[in-house]
Amino acid sequence: MARPAPAPLYTLRGAGSPLNALHFSCCEGDPPLLFSGSGQGSVHVWNLTTRRAERVLEGHSGASVIWLNTLHSKDTLISQGRDMRVCLWDLAEGRSDVTDTLWTGSVGFCRCSLLETGPGRWLLAHPGEAMEEVKIIDLPSKSPVCSLIPQAKLGMVMCIKLWQPDSSPGPLLLAGYEDGSLVLWDVSQRSVLSSAAAHPEPVMCLDFDPARQRGISGSSEKSLASWMLDGQHRLQLQQPVALVNPGISQLCIRGDRKIVASAGWDHRVRVFGWKKLRSLAVLQHHTDMVISLAFSDQQDPRNRLLAAGSKDQRISLWSIYNQGSDSDTGFSLRHAHSPLKHERADSRRAAQVRDYWPHIKAKHCKDKHSWVDLTEESST
Amino acid sequence: MLTRNHVRYKIFTNKVSGICIQRMDHQIDNPKLAFAYLRPACVLLTHEPTVGNVETLSTQLRHVNDGTLQQLQDYVLFPLRFILKIPGPKRDGLIQAVAEAIGYVLENTCVQSWETLRDLLSELCLCLCSPMDPGKPAPASEELRAAVLRCLDALLHAAYGDVVFKLFEPIMLPGLGAAISLLLALGEQEKSRTVQAAALKCLQALTLQCDCSLDHVSVGQEERRMLGSTMASFLPGITITVSRVITGDMRHGHAVTVRAIKVWFKTVGLVMADDQLQHTGTGERQPWELGRVWELVVQRTQDWVRNTSGRLALLLKKIISCTSAHQHWRVRLEMVNLSDHLLANCNSSLGECVGPLLEALVGAVNDEEPTVRERCEAALREVAERSQSSDSNNQAFTDVLSENLHSLATSLPRLMRTSDDQHKVFVLNVFLGYLKILGPKLIVVLNSAAHLQRVSKALMQVLELDVMDVRIVEERSSAVTVETGPGLHRAYAQRKHFLYFTDKIIFSLLKEICRVLGYYGNVYLLVDHFMDLYKESSVYRKQAAMVLNEVIKGAAGIGVAGGTERQEVPSQEDLKAVVESIIEEYTGLSHWHLSTLIAEESDRGEHKQQTQFSLLSISNGVEGKGNPLQLVQAVHKSSTIHELNSNIWQICIQLEGIGCFAQALGMDFRLILMTSLYPVLEKAGDETLLISQAALDAMWDISQACGYASLKELINENSDYLLNDVSLNLQRLGIHPHAPRVLTVMFSHSDPSLLPLVGDIVQDVLLALDLSYDETSPLFCTVLHSLMKALARWFPSSVAGTSDALGTKKVWREQDQLNVRQFLLDYNKQKELAVGIGAEEEGTEHPELPPSMDCEEDTDGPDVDCEEDTDGPDVDCEEDTDGPDVKVELPAHITIAKDVMERCIHLLSDPSLRLRLKVLDVLEQCVCVLSEKENELLPMAHRCWPALLLRLTTDDPLAVLRAFRVLCTLGETCRDFLRKRVSKEVVPKLTAWLSKQAPVSARAGPVYSHTLAYKLQLAVLQGLGALCCRLDLGDSDLDAVTEACLPYLSCRQPPKLQEACLSVFRHLIELDPDAFWLTLNELYCPCSYTPPHPDLQPVELSGMGLQRNEYTDNVLKLLEDFGLPEDTQPAGIQIQ
Repeated sequence: MARPAPAPLYTLRGAGSPLNALHFSCCEGDPPLLFSGSGQGSVHVWNLTTRRAERVLEGHSGASVIWLNTLHSKDTLISQGRDMRVCLWDLAEGRSDVTDTLWTGSVGFCRCSLLETGPGRWLLAHPGEAMEEVKIIDLPSKSPVCSLIPQAKLGMVMCIKLWQPDSSPGPLLLAGYEDGSLVLWDVSQRSVLSSAAAHPEPVMCLDFDPARQRGISGSSEKSLASWMLDGQHRLQLQQPVALVNPGISQLCIRGDRKIVASAGWDHRVRVFGWKKLRSLAVLQHHTDMVISLAFSDQQDPRNRLLAAGSKDQRISLWSIYNQGSDSDTGFSLRHAHSPLKHERADSRRAAQVRDYWPHIKAKHCKDKHSWVDLTEESST
Repeated sequence: MLTRNHVRYKIFTNKVSGICIQRMDHQIDNPKLAFAYLRPACVLLTHEPTVGNVETLSTQLRHVNDGTLQQLQDYVLFPLRFILKIPGPKRDGLIQAVAEAIGYVLENTCVQSWETLRDLLSELCLCLCSPMDPGKPAPASEELRAAVLRCLDALLHAAYGDVVFKLFEPIMLPGLGAAISLLLALGEQEKSRTVQAAALKCLQALTLQCDCSLDHVSVGQEERRMLGSTMASFLPGITITVSRVITGDMRHGHAVTVRAIKVWFKTVGLVMADDQLQHTGTGERQPWELGRVWELVVQRTQDWVRNTSGRLALLLKKIISCTSAHQHWRVRLEMVNLSDHLLANCNSSLGECVGPLLEALVGAVNDEEPTVRERCEAALREVAERSQSSDSNNQAFTDVLSENLHSLATSLPRLMRTSDDQHKVFVLNVFLGYLKILGPKLIVVLNSAAHLQRVSKALMQVLELDVMDVRIVEERSSAVTVETGPGLHRAYAQRKHFLYFTDKIIFSLLKEICRVLGYYGNVYLLVDHFMDLYKESSVYRKQAAMVLNEVIKGAAGIGVAGGTERQEVPSQEDLKAVVESIIEEYTGLSHWHLSTLIAEESDRGEHKQQTQFSLLSISNGVEGKGNPLQLVQAVHKSSTIHELNSNIWQICIQLEGIGCFAQALGMDFRLILMTSLYPVLEKAGDETLLISQAALDAMWDISQACGYASLKELINENSDYLLNDVSLNLQRLGIHPHAPRVLTVMFSHSDPSLLPLVGDIVQDVLLALDLSYDETSPLFCTVLHSLMKALARWFPSSVAGTSDALGTKKVWREQDQLNVRQFLLDYNKQKELAVGIGAEEEGTEHPELPPSMDCEEDTDGPDVDCEEDTDGPDVDCEEDTDGPDVKVELPAHITIAKDVMERCIHLLSDPSLRLRLKVLDVLEQCVCVLSEKENELLPMAHRCWPALLLRLTTDDPLAVLRAFRVLCTLGETCRDFLRKRVSKEVVPKLTAWLSKQAPVSARAGPVYSHTLAYKLQLAVLQGLGALCCRLDLGDSDLDAVTEACLPYLSCRQPPKLQEACLSVFRHLIELDPDAFWLTLNELYCPCSYTPPHPDLQPVELSGMGLQRNEYTDNVLKLLEDFGLPEDTQPAGIQIQ
């Protein structure tokens, strides 16, 4: 049974330029915030309760903001712009001042990666002055930790991901390069652990799930590469996922590691089950390519949102696949059209998201495929 | 005694009679003197009992002061009593005089001895009763009865405290009984109101419960007991008879009724007093001491109390039903006193009466008389306090209240069906009163499912709406609503018609009941319960929604007057959650998008039907605002008017509800706007008048609650929320077809500040239109039309059509009057030029002019200049004004208009007539908006010309009509651009058609004005003149136009066509006055022109000397415009 594709929960308008970066900050008690970085260098702070921009921060002198994150809480914002700078913002108590800036020297599109190493201490991986260089610095001291330059000619570094595995003492870094290869670095040793040619084209984006030791990467081609690390930190490519239309700008694995979303150049956001990479939904709303994605990190899984920023200057917010409780499949979707005899609170909440519910059950794959395929066919 | 003396003195000073009195200025205070003074009269009276003697004595009595009189009391009373004791028939007059005299004495003295009291009492009673039966009154005059009763009253007031209680000893029971029966009989049967009242007052005094202003014996605890137990014997008689008095004749004036009520409750309050009954059986006399009298004595045992209270309850109910809605407020006030007194004193002994008493009390809470209201409120407060303070009775009292409430709720629907409005108001007041008294305990009561069920069912049944009114479905709202103040809107609000009542007060009472429920009750419980009813059946839906609206208001504390404090006030968060869930239910697909239109138009409608529809819209003057939206979801099954009305009301009530919720939440409602504003706007654009007005009202409520000063502000501030939904729903028109409507409403209420965000949406619309060309284009055209209309309003074009035309007309007139000389000068100049005198010699002309003319020249100068200015091409002016703010980037609205116009070009040749019509409308607006930027308009006009031309020439008449309108609009800006095209391609066709149609319309009957051809003729004639003017058409075209139009000057044509034709000529006259003067005069010339000099040729016009014909009237009208009086000759001719 094919159902109409879900509609976004809300669309945030008024950014005025393409949305290159998104970041949620949801602390208990305060209204959840969404930071968005625009192509014109402004950072919008959206209050998700009122769904309006609370503040607009200007700090990258008009150069596009490509990456955003928060330190501590939502009060310290870190933003990376294509003016070759990384800015630290103090947003506490209504301030909006740049407290510190860091010159990266990178003119590329590679987004930074942040890793919290201890209370009040972070490692920031950012692209360096040389095209293929990744630099890692310590925050807040800004002291350089290391610089990682591959021996082989891999071209420009396109995307990086820094994390701290349980097994090894030092953090690891995954980097995707212009020639389509992925390289796993051991940061403490400054050495390459392994590498793999994941794509024939430049790696546009990647995301990695440290718990499952699995990752996924996208490129400008019509497929997603998925790979995993074995016990010896070797990258092993798995079956790629075929796409209808080429080009992926960003991949994002949700915090609960159940779904992964892709931002497509075909104006669509695709949602896959993370376990088997089954295609679950195609979110069609934007009228231009989707550039950025972010999942929110609320305590209550039912409030979790997916935000997609597009070149059409809108951010769409989606409330999807956030009803389910854990079950044996690990990914059970309870149908929102629950029986009318209801428990009040539940039904109220269920009703709120009723319209936005994708109407599929993971177990009923036949159903699911029918409408996914339909929407894909209709797209050209 | 002081007061008595005081009174006495007053009486004295007022009635000084100077008969044989030594000292005129004060009374005799010496007992001896007094005795000597009174003695002769007393003696005489004993011997000769005549009225005169009695009067002599009583006059003399007035000269003796009180103290002295007291000493002589027995002496003075003796002859008087003697008269009463004389056996045999007595004259009424004498008795009356005696009674008055005794009364005077008793009023001014005290009775100290028991014997005197007893004897006087029996003697006076004997005067009244019939000799056979001491309990029945004898026939006697009214005056006599009044006098004796007054005397009795005085006696009872005069009795000393230690004496008077002897009256109530059991031994006195028979005598007392006789007196009481007598008084009761008088009170009941007497015709005179005064006597009735006096008898009742006496009765009151007899039970020592008098409430007059005089001194009274103070009754102690023990005495009161005795009194009570004695009166218990007479309680049945008193209560029955007095209640008969109360309920008997409604005409006997309020004084008697009030008095009777007083007697009733004082007596009952005395006998049934709780404090007396709590210790019974102590100190009662032994029966053997009394003998037969014992039979009369009543033992107030538990059983007796129970029985009595049962009986009393019956009487009480009768009394209450008679008096609670009494016309006179004093009666109602007395009822409140009754309830208060009995509830205060006999709460437990009168168990069965508590219910009715409370009912009476609460029924008066909303009395129209403030005194009653205040008294009642005070009484209720006491009741509530008592009920809350005394723990033992607390539960019982609440039980009684809730029991009452339950039974009232049960009978409410029946009462509302059967009784009259006045009684309904009373019943509802009672209902409301119960809720208010229960107050915080309401939560407990409503926790009982039975109670809640009862109350809610009662409300559901009572609030049933009458949905048979046909007008509701019929009334249509106009497309654009101009923003008005909130007050103005409210005036139109339609009244709800209920099945079971009509009075507005009843509805407001019901609403207050709901609010009080919400105020004291548990909001969650109530909302859940009524929400279930709402969902349960469509029968209850409207009522449940009404109740919910008010419950929420009440929960927020709005409109709950004088309520006591609540124990737990629902938090704002709770309220918000509740409101959100209700709104969600209200605006759910199945409850919000109800069919409200008769599905007369079908989507795939045949041509004929469409024509009909369009005709309708033309005749109504409504812009072609079809409703394909409705059609998409139109339920094709025939729904009855009844259902439609019901649906309309349901939507209205839900809209009202949203307004109420906004009021309840105040600023907190702002967050809910995200979900609720869009649905409200959806309905504001509804075609049913009632719904759109309800929605506007709701919008006003919302803006006030959320602190917006106007609807515009409300929409502007929240346009992001609205547009989000709009853009989402534009993509899902199949499910949510109302997005265009919302846009329309937004546009009509908003201002240009909306534009930046709208631009985004317009791109969505256009994109969607481009993608799905066929199915959805009518929908999108609606959106585009409203958009362009809004743009045209927001950015009014500097090229204003009509005012401009008026301006030139005026100038032309002035020109006509002043220009004769100028004309000659010009003529002369032209001639000279033609002959060969160079233009360079222009300056030399002036010296040739006579000096006097020079002056005139000066005055002429400005006029001519002025004329040139206004006559100069508008395009130039426009360019001037546009000059400074020329930008590289076009303003957003111009871009939008261009984009829209682009689409129109494609859609103009759509096969669907309906769509073409709509597109023509959109096109017209586009032209209006673009007229500001000629550089943008002309290329677009060029591109759309072929399609437009087709519409003008070969399409359906309806389309021609619209296309012609577009042409006229276009003509206002693109003059030169259009001139050639119009003259070549349009004018011949139109004129040919007009000529062809003229004989048809001339012959046609009155029905013709309803035909399409007529409308087209009218439109063409109305627009043609202006078009010719604008385009500055050439002579040949003008000739063609004239020729085609002349037949319409005939008086045989329909009047409107004649008028339109006149307008054409007026415009043409502006263009070339002389030519048309001639043309008209050739048709009919009213006057003859004789040349001033015989050498000149006589003027010969073909219209001269004609008989009055069909053209005469209109030609004359037009000639009048030339401002040439018939007797003056044209100046030009004269000078030649």
